[in-house]
Amino acid sequence: MTKRPSNKNLTTKPYSYWLMTPGLAIYIVIFAIPTLASFYFALTRWDLINAEFIGLENFKTFFTQRNTSIALGHTFIYAFGTSLSKVVFALLIAVGLSSKYVRSRTYLKSLVYFPTMLSAVAVGITFTALMHPTTGLFNQVLRLFGSDGVKWLTDSDIALYSVMFVDFWKGVGTSTVIYLAGLGAIPKDYYEAADLDGAGPIQRFFRVTLPLMVPSINSVLTLSLIGGLKSYELLWTMTEGGPGYSTEILGTVTYKLFAHGNYFTAPPLSTFAAAADEAKGGCKHPQGLRCGSVETCRKADGRPAAARPANAEARRSGPMLWQLSP
Amino acid sequence: MAAVTLKNVKKIYPNYENKNKKKKQKKEEGGANLQITEQGVVAVQEFSLDIADKEFIVLVGPSGCGKSTTLRMIAGLEEITEGELYIGEDLVNHVAPKDRDIAMVFQNYALYPHMTVYDNMAFSLKLKKTPKDEIDRKVREAAEILDITQYLSRKPKALSGGQRQRVAIGRAIVREPRVLLMDEPLSNLDAKLRNQMRAEIIKLRQRINTTFVYVTHDQTEAMTLGDRIVIMKDGFIQQIGTPQQVFNHPANLFVVGFIGSPQMNFFDAQLSLDGERYAVLFEGVAIDLPEEMQQKLRERKVPAGPITAGIRPEHIEHRADGEITAQVDVSEMMGSEIHLHATVARKDTVVRIPITDLPADYEAHIRTGSTLQLHFPGGLLHLFDKQTTLNLIWGDEARHTGA
Repeated sequence: MTKRPSNKNLTTKPYSYWLMTPGLAIYIVIFAIPTLASFYFALTRWDLINAEFIGLENFKTFFTQRNTSIALGHTFIYAFGTSLSKVVFALLIAVGLSSKYVRSRTYLKSLVYFPTMLSAVAVGITFTALMHPTTGLFNQVLRLFGSDGVKWLTDSDIALYSVMFVDFWKGVGTSTVIYLAGLGAIPKDYYEAADLDGAGPIQRFFRVTLPLMVPSINSVLTLSLIGGLKSYELLWTMTEGGPGYSTEILGTVTYKLFAHGNYFTAPPLSTFAAAADEAKGGCKHPQGLRCGSVETCRKADGRPAAARPANAEARRSGPMLWQLSP
Repeated sequence: MAAVTLKNVKKIYPNYENKNKKKKQKKEEGGANLQITEQGVVAVQEFSLDIADKEFIVLVGPSGCGKSTTLRMIAGLEEITEGELYIGEDLVNHVAPKDRDIAMVFQNYALYPHMTVYDNMAFSLKLKKTPKDEIDRKVREAAEILDITQYLSRKPKALSGGQRQRVAIGRAIVREPRVLLMDEPLSNLDAKLRNQMRAEIIKLRQRINTTFVYVTHDQTEAMTLGDRIVIMKDGFIQQIGTPQQVFNHPANLFVVGFIGSPQMNFFDAQLSLDGERYAVLFEGVAIDLPEEMQQKLRERKVPAGPITAGIRPEHIEHRADGEITAQVDVSEMMGSEIHLHATVARKDTVVRIPITDLPADYEAHIRTGSTLQLHFPGGLLHLFDKQTTLNLIWGDEARHTGA
């Protein structure tokens, strides 16, 4: 009998390390180094060239900003609101779409998934037009029913919810597809057994479908929550965090910090919010990327320069950095 | 407990159902010769059967013969296209499964994976809003019968195949249904466990005393479990009868091929009629038929001519004065008996010979290539029409016996 190689043998053999090398190298370069660097730069005053170690000053600056708590609050409302609505409604849509009583199921499935394929920016711009207070389709329809219309994006009380609705519309397709896969994996036998056991449609849903869908629900919840916490494009396209700070979330805050050259204040934020993607998105901003300061940024914008806070003290005591930008 | 009556039941899977389903269906049918009409695929037709109260009926046949479809129509999981289905006195064609007072054991158990064994068994009673103490009593009673009391708090995934099947049966019997349906309940178990569970089902049947409809493709299960067997092919009933009737008087060649292991041997032969006396001519030997068969053949006015003659392997006698010569190809030692594959009339013929019927030095006689003298007793021959494949002696009479 040949001896079966043990796991220990496999891991101690040098070739297994060689096989790991390409993946490991990519992981280190793309993920590990930037993450560690981000942690490090969070503790420095950094202008892309020079980094001066200042301890936890940046975190202090960030948390003493008066809008931090607002942005945090909005982020959680946005993330939990969109993800919970996706969890619930996508499940209902999926159950409906998998019902044998619904005709043209394939077509309807494509219809539900279609918005997911669109770019967030395109969706944002489209819905901004649709939600325009005077010329938008939404209000025009409402006026047909005698309503004065709703200030979808300009009323600070409802702007966040309007964007959340668009996020839901755009993202519900992905969740539905995950649910449809989950529903498809439930053997028909369980439903037949439930039919014979005397379960009606509601009991079938709550006693059979729902418990068996828990893994899918977990996936949808996790993915949509992460998506919600990282969300940025839609809000930026539709409201830019406004009106006032009513739709400000961590993503927009990070973007603005980067866009205005505060590379040393943004890392603690991105570290805190695990929003590395937004930070990268911020760097892509042509003005923000090239400018090392608020001043040059605004120069590139062709607008009059305002006083630039000279040091960290001024930044802490002054208005929010991005507020200097019109 | 109730009688079940099926009157001329027909099932057509309509054409308009989506292509995927049809493809799947065709795959499941395994290339069976189901009739395809303009309306769709005819899965079951002309199905008439009276199942007596507390009877154990077994539907048996190859894949795609319509046996599971028939069972599912009784359960209410498939619509009946034509015909009538009565449970007791009630016409139940359009009654929902839950209102038919039936229970079903599925091939794949269909135990809810998120519920414990106890909850699985109690589920239907909870839905009926049965009082808790009564649920508890019934579940424990059923668990006791099936010897699964120690597993009540476990989830199905923590059980073996055999234990899961017991739970599935437990879930069905706990409701005390009027009819208990079983769809190939043992086919997922290994051979040893299957034998054990088969015996358990026989015992269970004695204890719970309800009407059973059992679907299987295994002829041993059919023979050992059923009060009566319904043999199906391509959606049609081939024969209904007690295991003994089906074995002794098979209605046609299909039934013969399906019941009995090893399968019956078939030969091309001639039926001769000399005056009023019939005989079977085979390999130059005239095999005389007993009086009972003569009479049946005369009654039916069977003409002389080419026929298919069949004889079961255990009915062929190996003896020195045997008139038919065979050449041994392979001998299979089965322990208590030997299965000899021999060539008779250029056809492979299986002969079952008990070890006790052989001399001590039998190995010398049945070596490959050696010749044997065989005797085909006329009374144990089965005669079939070459065209219709029907039993020439019993004819249509054999199709519905023991009803």
